[in-house]
Amino acid sequence: MSSSPSETDAAVENETQAQSHPLQGYAGAVAEAVGGTAGIQFDTIKIKIPNDTWVDAHITARDEFGLVHFSWLSAIDWSNEVEVGDALSDEVEERLELLTTVGDISEGRRVTFSTDLDHATPVIPTLIDVYAGANWHEREAHEMFGIDFLGHPNLAHLYLPDGFLGHPLRKSFPLLTREVKPWPGKVDVEAMPEKATAEEPSTENPEA
Amino acid sequence: MAIDTDVIRHLSEAQVSVELQTEDMTLNIGPQHPSTHGVLRLVAQIDGERAHDVQPVIGYMHRGYEKLSEVRTYPQITTIVNRIDWVSGYANEIPFIVAAEKLMELEVPPRAQYIRLVLTEMARISSHLIFMASYPLELGAATPLFFALRERERVLDLLESVTGGRFHPNFNRIGGVKPVAGAGSTQKKVGQDLPVDFLPETMDAMDRVSKVCDELEDLVAGNEIILARTRGVGVFPIEVAASYGLSGPNLRASGAAFDLRKIENYLPYDDFEFNVITGTNGDCWDRWHCRLQEIRESAKIIQQAIDGIPSGDLQAKVPKVIKVPAGETYVRAENPKGEMGYYLVSDGKDGPYRLKIRSASFSNLSILPWALEGVLVPDIIAIMGSLDFVLGDVDR
Repeated sequence: MSSSPSETDAAVENETQAQSHPLQGYAGAVAEAVGGTAGIQFDTIKIKIPNDTWVDAHITARDEFGLVHFSWLSAIDWSNEVEVGDALSDEVEERLELLTTVGDISEGRRVTFSTDLDHATPVIPTLIDVYAGANWHEREAHEMFGIDFLGHPNLAHLYLPDGFLGHPLRKSFPLLTREVKPWPGKVDVEAMPEKATAEEPSTENPEA
Repeated sequence: MAIDTDVIRHLSEAQVSVELQTEDMTLNIGPQHPSTHGVLRLVAQIDGERAHDVQPVIGYMHRGYEKLSEVRTYPQITTIVNRIDWVSGYANEIPFIVAAEKLMELEVPPRAQYIRLVLTEMARISSHLIFMASYPLELGAATPLFFALRERERVLDLLESVTGGRFHPNFNRIGGVKPVAGAGSTQKKVGQDLPVDFLPETMDAMDRVSKVCDELEDLVAGNEIILARTRGVGVFPIEVAASYGLSGPNLRASGAAFDLRKIENYLPYDDFEFNVITGTNGDCWDRWHCRLQEIRESAKIIQQAIDGIPSGDLQAKVPKVIKVPAGETYVRAENPKGEMGYYLVSDGKDGPYRLKIRSASFSNLSILPWALEGVLVPDIIAIMGSLDFVLGDVDR
């Protein structure tokens, strides 16, 4: 699932903004140094890197670009079949996308790194030696998405009770309270009263 | 008496020559402890007077908001993000709303932005005042609580007069803020959007907030016991704090001028003069002092905003059913506790495909095992309290 070498030269895909985005130069420089592809959406720089350079890319970002602040790590489950919420409009390649956001603490720059992991057996080396703060975020991603972080000292559950089965933030994990009791929120919006009366004139209940 | 002095001497020598075997004791703190602001459990190994290998146990407040967001529409999500950090519920709404507005490319009317800014800073003041009340209490000083909570109550009353809620205002709408109940369409009745006396009363309240800061400084900074328990205790070097992802006053106390109000453009903070408060030593005292000074800065911002509040609409034009165009964005904001952000992934539907909630307290708390290694047992509470976390913000 890693990007092919031809894509890794600092090609900046500017997705929504005009060609001369103020962050474009910076995004291109970081992407070139870590061997990834940069995309900018609004003011979020997302750099896609192959998963075998995951740790090295973060070391480069920290040491060469001063991105010393570890903001967060999490994942997105790209699935075509979902148990909760709406399915995606278009078919996607099924994968887990692992994301981190790191920033610097003087200029306020931030970069989001992303890599794709195999849906069935997601494995990636831990970032603890680069950013100490990755510890809890990786535990959370392990418990919520089932991602294995190689070299992590303690992948015990953070939130859920011991022995909990399944990974709740995966799209294949049903939201059980909604299975038991349908909720009139997003799932099925009731018809507006005027519409209901217009379709069925008040013949059903004449004495009312 | 009949005891042979030689025997006694022999016995005492025998005791001295035996090496003392100490055994680690496991000390369980919480889950219900006043200093944990929610339900946090610490399992510490105690060797004499020192603690080591302290493991926080969290998850008692986990409500699964990231999963719940996937079955809700955008307007419904503001009600649940309110409950993440319940001490400053209003401030949690802002980055989420701004993320959705960013993807929709909505232009929010300036008056709505100013109202958001005023209320966010009021949430910051009320959150910091809770810290001003509880932190000295955890160190054994009860008096500051009464000073801090008196003013906080006034700020919350004002917040309630606008939003209808003390803790969970749910006042933001995508594209602006909610018209005040009973005011009718704001297009027709401009001027009824805020309660009549709100602006002058807030001005007045901010004067009093600045005054209570002086009183608190007198009370706490002149207290030798508090100084002895906080100065040089729990020192976080700036590199360690950054690598653990600390933010807000906890990071600024270590000397980093890292304030997202100056960096990001989620609200019009550029219009106002205010200082980014930083500490020098990164100890418990600096974390207390940074927050105290930030209250003064927030009061200054609010007074400037009230002076310059523009008139106009409260809402941009938005469709009846809000659908956010497909895209991804990360929006972060300076919450009272630190960096609060949302990574929003939309697929063009009426609810998000994925909403990652980055809360400040989660990262702030994760430094505890490092910070509590080898400290004295009473310092556990001093260091933990100085982080100013709320468990709802940790567990989400």
